[in-house]
Amino acid sequence: MRNKLIKNLNQVLLVLGIIVLALLVGAIIISFSGNSPLEAYFSMFNGAFGSKQRFMEVLVRMIPLVIMALGTSVAFKAQLWNIGGDGQFIMGSILAMAVSLYSGLPAIIGVPVSIIAAMIGGGLWSGLAGWLKVKFNANEVITTLMLNYIAIYFLSFLVYGPMMDAQGSKMPQTALVPEAYRLPLFESGNRLHMGIFMALILVVIMIFFWKSTVGFKIDLLGQGEKVTTYSGVSVKKMIVLTMVISGLLSGIAGWTEVYGVQYRLLEGITSGYGSIAIVIALMGGLNPIGILISGFFFSALLVGGATMQRMTDIPYSIVDIVQGLIITFIIARTAINFKEIKNKIARRMGHVK
Amino acid sequence: MLSNIFTVGFFVSLLASTIRLATPILLPALGQIYTQRAGILNLSVEGTMTIGAVAGFAATFYSGSLWLGMLAGMVFGLFYGLLMAILSVTLRANQVIAGVALNILAAGLAVFFYRVIFGIQSLPPQVEPFKMLRIPILSNIPVIGVIFFQHNIIVYLAFVMVVVTWFILEKTTFGLKIRAVGENPKAADSKGIGVSKYRYSAIVIGGIYAGAAGAFMSIGYLNIFTESIIGGRGFIAVAVVIFARFLPIRAMWGALLFGLATALQLRLQALGIDVANQLMLMLPYAITIIALVLASKKADFPSAYTIPYSRKDR
Amino acid sequence: MEEFKNNEYAVEMYKIVKEFNDVKAIDNVDFLVKNGSIHGLLGENGAGKTTLMNVLYGLYHPEQGEVIIKGIKSDINSPTKAISLGIGMIHQHFMLARPFSVVENVMLGRKSRKGILLDTKETAEDLVALAEKYKMKIDPYAKIWQLSVGEQQRVEILTALYQGAEILILDEPTAVLTPQEVDGLFDTLREMKNDGKAIILITHKLEEIVCIVDEVTVLRDGVMIGNVEVDCNTTKSELTKMMVGRDVLFNFEKSLNKTGEKKLEIKNIKVLNDKNFLALDGFSLDIYAGEIIGLAGVDGNGQKELCEALTGIRKVESGEVKLDTINIENKPPLFSIQKGIAHIPEDRHITGLALDWSLKKNLILKTFKDNSKFGLIDEKKIQERWENARIAYDIKANSGDDSARDLSGGNQQKVILARELENKPAIVIANQPTRGLDIGATEYVRQKILDAKGDGAGVLLVSADLEEILQLSDRIAVIYGGELMGILPSGSDVKKIGELMMGKKLEVKQNA
Repeated sequence: MRNKLIKNLNQVLLVLGIIVLALLVGAIIISFSGNSPLEAYFSMFNGAFGSKQRFMEVLVRMIPLVIMALGTSVAFKAQLWNIGGDGQFIMGSILAMAVSLYSGLPAIIGVPVSIIAAMIGGGLWSGLAGWLKVKFNANEVITTLMLNYIAIYFLSFLVYGPMMDAQGSKMPQTALVPEAYRLPLFESGNRLHMGIFMALILVVIMIFFWKSTVGFKIDLLGQGEKVTTYSGVSVKKMIVLTMVISGLLSGIAGWTEVYGVQYRLLEGITSGYGSIAIVIALMGGLNPIGILISGFFFSALLVGGATMQRMTDIPYSIVDIVQGLIITFIIARTAINFKEIKNKIARRMGHVK
Repeated sequence: MLSNIFTVGFFVSLLASTIRLATPILLPALGQIYTQRAGILNLSVEGTMTIGAVAGFAATFYSGSLWLGMLAGMVFGLFYGLLMAILSVTLRANQVIAGVALNILAAGLAVFFYRVIFGIQSLPPQVEPFKMLRIPILSNIPVIGVIFFQHNIIVYLAFVMVVVTWFILEKTTFGLKIRAVGENPKAADSKGIGVSKYRYSAIVIGGIYAGAAGAFMSIGYLNIFTESIIGGRGFIAVAVVIFARFLPIRAMWGALLFGLATALQLRLQALGIDVANQLMLMLPYAITIIALVLASKKADFPSAYTIPYSRKDR
Repeated sequence: MEEFKNNEYAVEMYKIVKEFNDVKAIDNVDFLVKNGSIHGLLGENGAGKTTLMNVLYGLYHPEQGEVIIKGIKSDINSPTKAISLGIGMIHQHFMLARPFSVVENVMLGRKSRKGILLDTKETAEDLVALAEKYKMKIDPYAKIWQLSVGEQQRVEILTALYQGAEILILDEPTAVLTPQEVDGLFDTLREMKNDGKAIILITHKLEEIVCIVDEVTVLRDGVMIGNVEVDCNTTKSELTKMMVGRDVLFNFEKSLNKTGEKKLEIKNIKVLNDKNFLALDGFSLDIYAGEIIGLAGVDGNGQKELCEALTGIRKVESGEVKLDTINIENKPPLFSIQKGIAHIPEDRHITGLALDWSLKKNLILKTFKDNSKFGLIDEKKIQERWENARIAYDIKANSGDDSARDLSGGNQQKVILARELENKPAIVIANQPTRGLDIGATEYVRQKILDAKGDGAGVLLVSADLEEILQLSDRIAVIYGGELMGILPSGSDVKKIGELMMGKKLEVKQNA
């Protein structure tokens, strides 16, 4: 137990070190642009934590990101590289929206149905990639990626066509979600909605999920197909199931965004959450609590970055750069064998003597 | 009414633009054939192209030389490829994750430096792109001439590279070694072939091709740089390589197929025909999946595909 | 350099030290090989033979020591350097790219005469000529995957010779060959020795090479134990003692041969391999309760596919497999697990264990459902399970939370045994259960297999190690080309078994 704690602590310290390093490199890049890195980071920090409203905005942003990252972590645990979170998010939000637009159900039934619809949308979209892998050996990296684009254009087709708001302005967007369906806000003055409970509940569920027999099987799949088959677990079923679970979580993320923030479908609703979710999942070590923490961090980075762009001359893309650097360093760090290097140095020193 | 649309002129311009649109997929695909043959799946080709596009654009804008722009695209592509090589070969990182990471980083870097260099302007800065190069005599042949011989120089070069790439991979010692490190790195190592060296070369070559393709987008196909200028072409190129079973000639057909899908969509839209434009845009991506499904069963992937190599793993 | 021309030694290695992660794999070893001789390098698995030769071949760089090739001190820092010094190595696992042709593989290791272009045609011609010189036959344009194992070995030897090898290292060259193919190989080696080449044979099986080698160096735990001149008449016991460090008496007490009722009936099954060729072609065999039936055969004759078919991992195209009265062919793996068919797979790293998982979890790979409450894994129960297994199977590990990767091969195999034999299985399928293990672990595993038989299990012991088969089996079945060649009683003559392994069918009727 103690050992485990120390190990976790080490992990946390390492991640913190990596963040600091990424911010330092980011600072160098910012100073290239003739701006002051200190000013940039200060306005970023201020942008995320400077007022209650901004802080609440961070939490708002965190809701879909954490849920999506949980979804991503399921697939990654099984060594299935589902990089189609965006597409699954979109398909989930489309079906969820359809329920509120067309079903005519009372909210008490309609809202649960809309969650299930979102799960079906996201789950089937990634399940399709899983099925293609099982059936045709089609690489899931490529198929989930292509399904992203298809979902993006499908959404665009819907909001310009069949689902376009007939009464409203001729904007490419749907009509609003009826108020009874919406996720209630905590208070007026900021956008934080009850979806935060959904995110927290899902984190708790995922903690137990990894202790369950299904979680056991998904983790086992990540250890290799041969040992999975040998253990009496069907690889094909598990691939499809893993992808479905992974995608349905992203679908739920879409639901929270439609029912809690946007109240409608519009183009660009994911704003590239998929790749951020990958970063969050990896920085969180594919562990639900880790994902919650790293999700909070990246949400602050995104919200703070947007404020920074408004307040200073520094472009928002510095946020992408810092993200890219963090994840690159994380990969590099897991790959570098510190012990080996230490030995090598020690030996060199020995030779010099 | 249809006969009014589907005239000879329509098909000629359709096929001509097919070839033009195939170019930015063909070039990175050819580069990825080296990379993937050596056993590396490099998804960061998308980001590399974005970097190449901004580098090529900036160099051309300030020097006035299109060729310097191409060179800049290639040089930056080379360095970005080098980054992937360090992550995937030296650090033996998971290639998919490394690719995703470098794509995020590239998107950030490209846009950041574009903003730093050009600031915010009401009209996007423009360059004079590569001009159409009519091949003497051949370009005067009716129909054929317009389709094949009225493009800019980069388009011709891209198609020449198909043969060059095939020749290098199949007929030279360098190509044999590239294939060997993807097929059986242990065997290659035991025969005195530096696995890292050839994997680095293969990734860097892929980076150069991708950088060139990126520059083609901003100074050959368009005349501006935008954030979404690559628009997934890098990913399609990766898929084309798998679809083509790692063969240059087949990759050319693959790239042309995607060129055709995009061209058809653009042409019909230009004619004001009301097919839902978004559904047409989906086509290339849907075709990629279908092509992958058709090819995957048969595709002979290099045995060491996506597997890092270390001497100690014996 | 004239003065060195008459040097007696082709290879001189002095005081070699090679470490991996602070552990000395090779410790201060001297190793000398004469020109025009065949030299055996003998030792158990893990004694450091291959490591030493990888140092000579430039794959590893030693921490200390000196290497002298043909009288010239050499710093061999890469295979390229080794090749340029005339050293060739034929690895245990062939270093060939399977989709490539023979000539492409050969060209990989050699500078082209046409600069950057491949000299395919010239190389092919040279290759045919070279093969003829050493009385081998080869089609330079055949793809490697089309060749038999023996032919692939020939490609490896030809490649080395073509690179100009004067010193040839062969790592366990006989392991994959039939006794008759071994004779062919030895003819070629003698031919090369007569040409003045130095040949090093790495092996852990003295008896196979004692007649061909001139001299033997023995390694144990990375240390050189001795250097002995040998010939056909040398007694083996002394050398074996050097190799192992103690007297080994693999004398297991075989329990009484009380053959029980028929447990498993394999009837005329056909099974495809990964390449969709027939791996088993009408194979039949009966396994009785309380017996060990040894399945002898050269690797790759359908043994792996048989084990996988019996455990539901591989599809059976036709024929039947019956456990008692139930048909089990083409049932999912879970079915045979629940029916009590234990499986000790051939590759414990990829199939038998989840290497990055804890030992605790590895113990319940097949029984995680029984070790769970309300769908959640019962941590307390699996901790208990681990404690019991650790004691019962003498597993050496710090705790059940250690990952399987951190254990030695022997302890890893004990974890597998603990899992597979725990619930008194009806059938045990053991595929190469002692491969790669040291003597102690080997003895332990064999004893556990005998115990399982004593408990009434029917055991199918698949092994390429004839010695193992002979020691443990009550009956010996021989497989060749996916067919059963015959069943011999325990204690049969090795020559006789060897003939069947070569594909000669036993003429008397089965189950005598």
